[in-house]
Amino acid sequence: MNPLEQERLKKLLKQALPPVDESPEPACDLWPAVLRRLDQGHTRVPWFDWALLAGVGVFVAFTPAWIPVILYYL
Amino acid sequence: MNTHPYLRAFLSGLFVPTLIMPLLLTVFIVVRLGLQWPFPIERGLVFPMALVPGLWGLWSMLWLRSHELTHLPLGIHGALLPFLLLPAGAVVAKYSGVVNFESSSVFWFNAVHIPYAVFAVGFLAGITVYYLVWKYIVGFLNRVLGIA
Repeated sequence: MNPLEQERLKKLLKQALPPVDESPEPACDLWPAVLRRLDQGHTRVPWFDWALLAGVGVFVAFTPAWIPVILYYL
Repeated sequence: MNTHPYLRAFLSGLFVPTLIMPLLLTVFIVVRLGLQWPFPIERGLVFPMALVPGLWGLWSMLWLRSHELTHLPLGIHGALLPFLLLPAGAVVAKYSGVVNFESSSVFWFNAVHIPYAVFAVGFLAGITVYYLVWKYIVGFLNRVLGIA
């Protein structure tokens, strides 16, 4: 590639890529918003979901050979 | 934060399999390299490490895409994924030599015999695990990421 082609390629690349702003960081701190979302995320677990979880626990306790198979699919 | 919702859905779907990966690698290192177990269990890592995370991410994107039409709860949507993963995983396991289908049982990792009747119960247990994981973990992440 000769210098002329290099210069042309440089020019094309500069045209293709948008210029980065002076301050690429967000206008405000986003972490407090994430913390607020985490605090809102508490949900009540209905009794049948606890029953399902217990059922899976009992199944795995009685057939531990299933653990690698379940891990295989997770 | 309304940009790239599908990317956020993909990442929330990817979360759980990504947490399982180091656990699988630890089991592999301990069993295969530490205990020198002769069976090549690394063949069994192809499916959970290469395909499952991507499929979870895509399934999460599909939920975001289809939710307005189907109104399917996230847990139920997640519980449908094993119906796709079970045959896909079985095919990969069969051709990588991880599983053998015998007349009365499935033989996993050259060590675990699972009779077909127990396999059906185990499949239900797997669906339950998926339901709970998708409902609570993926659902929580979707809320945090602002897509639920």
